[in-house]
Amino acid sequence: MKEFTEMSGVKLARLIAEHELDEVQVGTASAARSRAMDADLNCFISVYPQPIKGEGDSALRGVPVALKDNISVRGKPLTCASKILSGYTAPYDATVTVRLKQAGLQIIGSTNMDEFAFGSSTENSCYGPTANPWDTGRVPGGSSGGSAAAVAARLVPCALGSDTGGSIRQPAALCGVVGMKPTYGRVSRYGLVAFGSSLDQIGPFTTNFEDCAHLLNVLCGADPRDSTCASVAVPDFTAVLNSGVKGLTIGIPREYYADGLDSQVRAALEEVQEVFAAQGARCVPVSLPHTRYAVAAYYIIASSEASSNLQRFDGIRYGRRVPRDSLGEVYGYSRGSGFGAESKRRIFLGTYCLSSGYYDAYYIRALKVRTLIRRDFEQAFTQADVLLTPTTPAPAFLRGEKTGDPLQMYLSDVFTSSANLAGVPAVSFPCGYTREGLPVGAQLIGRAFDEETLIRAGNAYQQHTAFHARIPEKYGPESV
Amino acid sequence: MDQNQFETVIGLEVHVQLRTESKIFCACSTEFAQPPNTNVCPVCAGYPGVLPVLNRAVLALAVRVASAFGCTVQESIYFERKNYFYPDLPKNYQISQYKVPLGKNGGVELETGRTICVERVHLEEDAGKLTHKEGGSLVDLNRAGTPLLEIVSMPDIRSPREAFEYLRTLKMILQYIEASDCDMEKGSLRCDANISLRRRGEERLGTKVELKNMNSFRGVRDALTHEQERQKEVLCAGRTVVQETRLWNVDRQRTESMRTKEEAHDYRYFPDPDLPDFSVPDELIAREAARVGELPLARKKRFAERYSLDEGQLEVLVGQKALGDFFEAALKYYSQPREIAKWIIGPFLEQVNALPQGMRGVSISSQNFAKIVQYFSEGKLNNLAAKKVLATAVLSTQDVDEIIREQGLEQISGEDELAGYVRDIISEQQEAVSQYLSGKTQAVMFLVGQVMKKTRGNANPKKVKALFEKELEKKRS
Repeated sequence: MKEFTEMSGVKLARLIAEHELDEVQVGTASAARSRAMDADLNCFISVYPQPIKGEGDSALRGVPVALKDNISVRGKPLTCASKILSGYTAPYDATVTVRLKQAGLQIIGSTNMDEFAFGSSTENSCYGPTANPWDTGRVPGGSSGGSAAAVAARLVPCALGSDTGGSIRQPAALCGVVGMKPTYGRVSRYGLVAFGSSLDQIGPFTTNFEDCAHLLNVLCGADPRDSTCASVAVPDFTAVLNSGVKGLTIGIPREYYADGLDSQVRAALEEVQEVFAAQGARCVPVSLPHTRYAVAAYYIIASSEASSNLQRFDGIRYGRRVPRDSLGEVYGYSRGSGFGAESKRRIFLGTYCLSSGYYDAYYIRALKVRTLIRRDFEQAFTQADVLLTPTTPAPAFLRGEKTGDPLQMYLSDVFTSSANLAGVPAVSFPCGYTREGLPVGAQLIGRAFDEETLIRAGNAYQQHTAFHARIPEKYGPESV
Repeated sequence: MDQNQFETVIGLEVHVQLRTESKIFCACSTEFAQPPNTNVCPVCAGYPGVLPVLNRAVLALAVRVASAFGCTVQESIYFERKNYFYPDLPKNYQISQYKVPLGKNGGVELETGRTICVERVHLEEDAGKLTHKEGGSLVDLNRAGTPLLEIVSMPDIRSPREAFEYLRTLKMILQYIEASDCDMEKGSLRCDANISLRRRGEERLGTKVELKNMNSFRGVRDALTHEQERQKEVLCAGRTVVQETRLWNVDRQRTESMRTKEEAHDYRYFPDPDLPDFSVPDELIAREAARVGELPLARKKRFAERYSLDEGQLEVLVGQKALGDFFEAALKYYSQPREIAKWIIGPFLEQVNALPQGMRGVSISSQNFAKIVQYFSEGKLNNLAAKKVLATAVLSTQDVDEIIREQGLEQISGEDELAGYVRDIISEQQEAVSQYLSGKTQAVMFLVGQVMKKTRGNANPKKVKALFEKELEKKRS
């Protein structure tokens, strides 16, 4: 099974279909490698004793996949990396889980994350932090850091994460893989433990855009169990893989290239522009004037929704319960000892923002900002087909570097949260490496329900570059 | 101080369960009296990751109720979360409507001619049920997610009696339009009341007390009466009423303070991001308004005018929509309203009330029923036989004539046939005949009874009696 670390999901599936490789062996090998590597990386919360295999078929049949541990898989523990869910087993499949099974992928385990997806470094996990495969002293980003690291280390060809303010794209950037947040309403949220319900979206991690397109084909589509999932026709996302960028107008939002952007990141992004231009795309400056309010509005809206969403974790029906004599104490002690510090911070923040007397000043005002940000994008998309920005202001930071300063940590989402507020699709892909050998991520943001342009541009880029093919040294073919 | 100087001001908050097969945000059944936690799925149990999906039948029923009250219906509705912790509330928030109710500014007209304004009607989900036992409490989530409509009246009600009347009317309307069963015993109707007193002529409302824990309409009336008197005493003694929630203690027939200081609840309402806005199209409003049909009060007026029935008959026939419908359907086949009414209210209801499903368990057609009444009126069936036929016919679709034939119940009214029986009995019962002839004329009833016995009750007793008198008088002369 030496080959499969370098192989794309699609190629693996093809070899399985042609009986060159055995499906069961592939699943077992992926799980075994994940177990072995996890001592250093800690990107899995659990690697299942046996992969869960669906009977269905697709271009990804037989491909191993890992799910962020906030997505329900029937009969498996679901932890959200929180002590408060200890002992809980999901009684049903998330819609995306059903779809993966129907497409014949094999789910090998659940990945580490920031507790309830609150974080940008995967350090807020009750199962300990995940390491970045490019430098294990650094964070993989978050909150879907486990999924990003698992794909970067080629433990699985693809994985699922969830993105509320950047939780797929930011770790994808820091780990050097492709991570897409589809349009809000493109993928069913049924079975995803809610963080910010109006922002959350499930999306794929892959090493390349071809796999990304195939996985989107599996995941997207209306769902009668999710009223916020749009009944919009789903195209075959692979149809545009070879469409090229000739004639495409790429907007360069000035606000994303302001002072404070890491010089190596800036240089890498400039090269991306050149690659696109060389293939016939036109790069034009655009403006998203309300960008600087995005992080504040995002943290108010997401935390408000989270404070309400997390009320169900009360020790009464499932999860952790601290027995006490009075009801108030059961709630207090169960939640007090079950939630980690960052979760408590967000619950407090959200509760405060929704309280009478503050609701208008915070929650309502944040919604108004959200409308302005949405309009910014609508305006920008009259001038450009797609926007190109850095995914993060800087590459992966050191573990512990920002844990003492939540505000600094929150600013990791500065380039990503706008797309969630506007509901538009966005993808991060590797576009270079720093002198220290850390990946740099570029972000493409598209019009609502136009993931196709992201795939079209992204794949054109990867057809002319090789950054996505680079594998962290320790996890290359010789590591098998 | 004169107790009559006070005016009572009452407002009622009524929660009714809308009559749907399934819950408001999932497909679980709403069936009553099931084993605990059997009508439960991950959605209504609030498991991690689940999402609500609105049951469209709920929206339609709610629009129907709003139309029946003449409310203005919102063009588009949305749901909000009411956040509070309680073990019977699986998500620790209730999906409800707060800022913008589905319907507002309607009214309920009472028979007295007064109209009680309905301030708002809004949709929400019910919570589960807690049972407190020694050593702990048990949670049953069967009821969690049951669709409720909250109907809030303005403080327009002026007496406990009027509150009772309002509830009675409300219930009848909701049953007429098939929106709710309104069965307080099954919890499909619940009522809380706000009551305050003020000096007559005063505009400003007095301090109100909220009353809870009433489990019948009578309970509501009694609790309000008790509370009205209590507040009068307080005010007459020169003290002030404390704003509080009081519970009705049905055993002790009094209200008791639950909490004097209202816990400062901040429900942190905000729009539920899991549910989109739902438009309420004009077609839906028109369709549901058309389904409202004739309301009880209008029907009562119409019945009174058209059929000259007495108050008691009207009460019964209008009280249950199905009975009134049946009444009018039967009239098409035999247009004697008083006779039909008498038979419905008497023998027919007696049969219906013995059925577990009531009117829903009845199979008889209005045509067959009308025939029985007609046969009775025309003397073709005697009273006993008619009731016997009805007992069979209520549960059957068989033609009445066939039933009569099969049971041999047709009344014997032919003079010649009856005269034969009369002559036989006269010769058999010499003693009674002598008694009659000696002046004890009531002995004729014994003789009539003998004929009835011989004919197994099928003889027309009036005719038999007349024949006896004719024959016996002949003997006397």
